[in-house]
Amino acid sequence: MIIIKRRMSSTVYIAGLGVISAIGNNVAEHLTAFGQEKAGMGDITLLNTIHRNELPVAEVKLSNNELAEMTGLPVGISRTALLSLVAAKEALTDAGIPDLSNLRTGFVSANSVGGMDKSEDFFVDFLADNSKGKLRHVYDHECGSMTEIVAEKLGITQFMTTLSTACSSSANAIFYGARLIKNNLLDVVIAGGADSLTKFTLNGFNTLMILDKEFCKPFDEHREGLNLGEGAGYVVLVSDKVVKNLNKQPYCKLSGYNNSNDAYHQTASSPEGTGSYLAMKGALAKSGLQPADIDYINLHGTGTPNNDSAEGTAVKRIFDPEYPPMSSTKSFTGHTLGASGGIEAVFSVLAINNKIIYPNLRFKTRMNGFDFEPVKRFLKDQDINHVMSNSFGFGGNCTSLIFSRV
Amino acid sequence: MNIFEHANSELNLPTDKYINGSCSIAKGVITKDANIIYDSDCYDISESLFSIYQHFELAYPKFYKMDNLSKLGWLTAEILLKNSFEKKDYQPERVGLILANANSSLDVDLRYIESANDIASPSLFVYTLPNIVIGEISIRNGFKGEHAFFVQESFDSDFIARQVNYLLDNDILQACICGWVDVLRQDYKSTLFLVEKNKKESSVLFSAENMRHIFDNN
Repeated sequence: MIIIKRRMSSTVYIAGLGVISAIGNNVAEHLTAFGQEKAGMGDITLLNTIHRNELPVAEVKLSNNELAEMTGLPVGISRTALLSLVAAKEALTDAGIPDLSNLRTGFVSANSVGGMDKSEDFFVDFLADNSKGKLRHVYDHECGSMTEIVAEKLGITQFMTTLSTACSSSANAIFYGARLIKNNLLDVVIAGGADSLTKFTLNGFNTLMILDKEFCKPFDEHREGLNLGEGAGYVVLVSDKVVKNLNKQPYCKLSGYNNSNDAYHQTASSPEGTGSYLAMKGALAKSGLQPADIDYINLHGTGTPNNDSAEGTAVKRIFDPEYPPMSSTKSFTGHTLGASGGIEAVFSVLAINNKIIYPNLRFKTRMNGFDFEPVKRFLKDQDINHVMSNSFGFGGNCTSLIFSRV
Repeated sequence: MNIFEHANSELNLPTDKYINGSCSIAKGVITKDANIIYDSDCYDISESLFSIYQHFELAYPKFYKMDNLSKLGWLTAEILLKNSFEKKDYQPERVGLILANANSSLDVDLRYIESANDIASPSLFVYTLPNIVIGEISIRNGFKGEHAFFVQESFDSDFIARQVNYLLDNDILQACICGWVDVLRQDYKSTLFLVEKNKKESSVLFSAENMRHIFDNN
């Protein structure tokens, strides 16, 4: 029997960031949009659906052709993979890790729709005539295909895996990537996720009657549902060994994480917010921080009546009576599903690094029964040391991450 | 370089495993451990499942919300475990489920599509995945172990046995409920097995052949 010594990396650092969403195609464009308080929702222009001009969504403002040209991927490939590659590449370039080829590098990528956008194209022809339909449209249907396409382009061969836990998917990818580094299995992990808009998700959420026909109003008493969005967000996680060789300071560290489950309902949170409460509490315990140490909460804040009251109840149980500033950036990006944990991790890191707090757009009326409300305006020069980022998914799958200044 | 090449250097030898209970529901008849214990005497699936629910006095309001696949699996598990399983003997993380069927969630998928002609029903939509039945059984019993739902043409006892052996031999689970839960319209059949490592008087050795035998005779 071979005994291996596991040298645990005590700290996991964030060395690179990459993001694409309805408000920008890279980190810099996002910072500009936040500063201008400019939301990304609008009428549907790219997705081919009967809900055009009826349901607002937050589309990435680039066509598949433009994304293919940017990334060097073939035009016919799933939009999920296209978005994923844009953000993952930005993150890896941003990290600028010297001598990367001699390090153990992994790609942990999450999504919930996989290549569904292309499968939908296939079915239009196939349902009309079952001898028709191009099989190359279903070739990359699986969620894992997205990861493989992008890993190949990034030149990552040593370790790759795909997580799919609905709306907490990419927060769990970051959580898992951190554990791979902590257990000395990898030195560098590009972790996060991507999702593109599809008929499947738009019609599914519409059936659940949780889409707002107006721009969403997270944490507002008169909120009526969410707006779907799309995009991708990745962080580059590195070990303490790698951080010493960086040509720059890391952004921050990932100090806490937890995943807990409501076991309450397929798509709803328990009214007490049990899963979200346990996730936030567990992440605080992992980081060794007290609730009072948290300087900003990036809420899950979808804008559905159920999520926001459950999450609000859980926040109250932990933070009452001293609430940190909090907001839902889904008021800018819409709900990007499997990408949201990765996108909002990038926002959380930027909050620490750039000393900013994002506004919760369109907030007017405080929710009944709550003594707190989200931040309404973009705030600069904020002294932020610890940020909590919440991502809660269908199936009761709740994850909280905590990022801390180094 | 395979980064995990030394991660699992110790191989686990197969441990003895036993079928400590079985329960089938088909054509309105319930068979537990080879004995017919109830005949609902009706052929309609919905009536049959409700009759079983009432007969065993199972007070669980959520039952009414479930689709027929979840109702069938949940009822089979209730009767399988009743007086046959000591929950307190196990950590919640050490009890899991391996289920399979031929028709996935097609039964409720069809009902959902029919509802969409009028107003698409959210309550039907949330059941349009076959593994929801595993969730319903796990929530009822507080099980938190590994689980998987497979779709296969017919009951593949070799396949199920391989999955369960892997989970129990590697101490990932200490007890596993496995078997078949299938519904399409009025056709339905379930057979669940309780697999544990302790031998009881009534135990049958856990094997693909013994599962197949019980499945075929119910």
